[in-house]
Amino acid sequence: MSGADFKVVLLGTEAVGKTSLMKRYVQDRFHPRPHINTIGAAFASKSVSSRGRQFVMGIWDTAGSERYYAMSQLYYRDAKAAVVCFDLSERVTFDRAKQWIIELRNHEEDCKIYLCGTKKDVIEDGTKARAISHEKVLQFSKGIGAVYIETSSKTGESVVELFQLIADNCELPSAKGKEESVKLQLSKKSETCCSAS
Amino acid sequence: MAVICPHDVVNMASTMKSNEDLDESGENHEGKHPEGNLLHFEPEVAVESMLVPTDSFESFEQEAPAGSASLQPDSNLLKCQNTEENTPDKVARDTDTNVASRSISELSLVSEECIEHQHVEEELSNSKEWRSQEKHIFILSSAGKPIYSRHGSEDKLVTLFGVMQALVSFIGDDGDTIRSIHTQGTSFLFLIKGPIILACVYKSRESVAQITVQLNYVYSQIVSVLTLEQLTRIFEQRRNYDLRRLLAGAERLIDHLLIALETQPALLLGAVQCLPLVSTTRDAITNVIVSSCNKIKKLVFAILVGGNQLVTLIRMKNFFLHPADLHLILNLVNSSESFKAAESWTPICLPKFSSDGFLHAHVSYLAEDCQACLLLLTVDPDLFFPLSEAKQKIVEKLRRASLLQSINAALAHTGTPVSQLGVPEARHFLYKCKATAQFWGPVPAPPYQTTEGAKRLLDQYRVLHHRLHAPAQPLKLLYLQDNAETMLGWVTTGFELYVAFEPLVTKANAIGAVNKIVRWIKKDDNGLFITNAPTF
Repeated sequence: MSGADFKVVLLGTEAVGKTSLMKRYVQDRFHPRPHINTIGAAFASKSVSSRGRQFVMGIWDTAGSERYYAMSQLYYRDAKAAVVCFDLSERVTFDRAKQWIIELRNHEEDCKIYLCGTKKDVIEDGTKARAISHEKVLQFSKGIGAVYIETSSKTGESVVELFQLIADNCELPSAKGKEESVKLQLSKKSETCCSAS
Repeated sequence: MAVICPHDVVNMASTMKSNEDLDESGENHEGKHPEGNLLHFEPEVAVESMLVPTDSFESFEQEAPAGSASLQPDSNLLKCQNTEENTPDKVARDTDTNVASRSISELSLVSEECIEHQHVEEELSNSKEWRSQEKHIFILSSAGKPIYSRHGSEDKLVTLFGVMQALVSFIGDDGDTIRSIHTQGTSFLFLIKGPIILACVYKSRESVAQITVQLNYVYSQIVSVLTLEQLTRIFEQRRNYDLRRLLAGAERLIDHLLIALETQPALLLGAVQCLPLVSTTRDAITNVIVSSCNKIKKLVFAILVGGNQLVTLIRMKNFFLHPADLHLILNLVNSSESFKAAESWTPICLPKFSSDGFLHAHVSYLAEDCQACLLLLTVDPDLFFPLSEAKQKIVEKLRRASLLQSINAALAHTGTPVSQLGVPEARHFLYKCKATAQFWGPVPAPPYQTTEGAKRLLDQYRVLHHRLHAPAQPLKLLYLQDNAETMLGWVTTGFELYVAFEPLVTKANAIGAVNKIVRWIKKDDNGLFITNAPTF
């Protein structure tokens, strides 16, 4: 894959705030506009640094409309991380998130899953009630080995942290030249491991 | 709304038949007609076209019946995939459809309740405001499930949808098909397309043929987001399927399309308007796109649009774009704010090109400071990054050659008023070049600059268009005089011209003006038309 070193895909039902999440992270902007459906998928890239290295994260913001479900594999294929979004105040969006996770597990075993509860500000200012308790989601995400994070694209809370976490957790792409040194280190490690045992 | 009484209708075609100096079409007798010289020439455009020419209304109306037998066999997608030998396109296609069918079957498992809508007891059809709408469009499934309503929520119209379904199936029981019901002041038109029923209830003066074209457009819009293949399969699997689930978000496209149909002449004419550019500038832009994309295989169309006008279109050899498909593309661009925010990669089905599969479109605006939208359409779902790079190259080259500025200048231009042409009698006109499926008209001036004025003008054009293209008796020339304006329509083998004059214009002056207009268009030093058909 060209264009980015690292592919992240945003999944979730329509209107949970995938586009807003991407916009907040990439452009640090938020528009409290009425919901506009994403058509197909939008791509944006952002340079991130992690563990002393600089690389480009390519983010796919997919359309949540049901008619694109059939095409979604096109967008999440080979993704290193998936941010599965649901609206903290809408129960059905969480149910749908679970289905996305099952689908991802079936098709992209190596894709790390980040479960993201969106619109935290709406819960905090009391406009809407929380639909699923924090503990329940946390328990669920632990069970599937996913990271759970709650964000607000409006206030920006935890948005950068989420993507930084993704960057920090990812396998760094094997940049040419560095590849060997990484391998060497790895093999050294395993040697010490072996000798220790 | 102005009521137009055609108290003085003169059919010039018949007048002219009696005149020996000029044959019916006004051909071959230049300069001999006593009433003026109706020059007959084509503008020196139309050498080649990248669009499928639409030479008459009928051919435009003849939509492919749901299923097969379209004009171009639906192998277009396969064909352009096959331009590269040894490509595993068959496999790719198969996996694509597999993925689709898998997910669709999963869909049925997805919680029904999430779409469950509260039935509002109160029927909207009793509302005065709703009833007073000039035109309603309804879409329903053959099982009677509401899909779309132009005015008001379809949820509140379930009874009405039931009636429509009953009418269709009652007539259908006898092996017949309901087409229209006409009452005083209101007409009801039905179009049955496989599992979908489209209906229009209208009080406007549009003709059955024109409304049929509009309903066909709406149907094409649905096919464009779903593909005919998917649409057919869904209803085969579940006759009772609620299609709104799959069309969520696409209502906006239908709304926008219907507004365009009501307000723009482009769809009436089956033609597109080009962004006026000096031909060398346009060629330079085209060359930049071609040189940046020619190494990319399986790129079928590159389309640059700005302000609802076509800047340039480059196509794969042997493939053409139908104007109806281009209208759907323009509609997608115009109704999707989200394209402005980021590079997009979206499936799109172009029903005239191939109704069974998706093309993949890389959609992006050229730059923050140049609001022209570039669409790169391919059959290869893995081409996003090569296309993204190509787009970057295109923008860099355009910027270096100051071509972005040229595009911006053309976009900022408010349009040529008719007064610049030196034909004071004419208030407005539309000129359609049939071979290229392009048209041009001046920017509306008084009395047509207001919304009502523009609407009346378009209504007048519709009447002209309908009379000229009436299937029973098509006309070559029509001259209609009433108290608001005098309208003249003229259809030749190469072009169609529709002119609105002052109401008291004399025929001699009208003909003189028509000749001036045609001569002005013919010069075409304004870059109003795209005269070549570049390929990759």
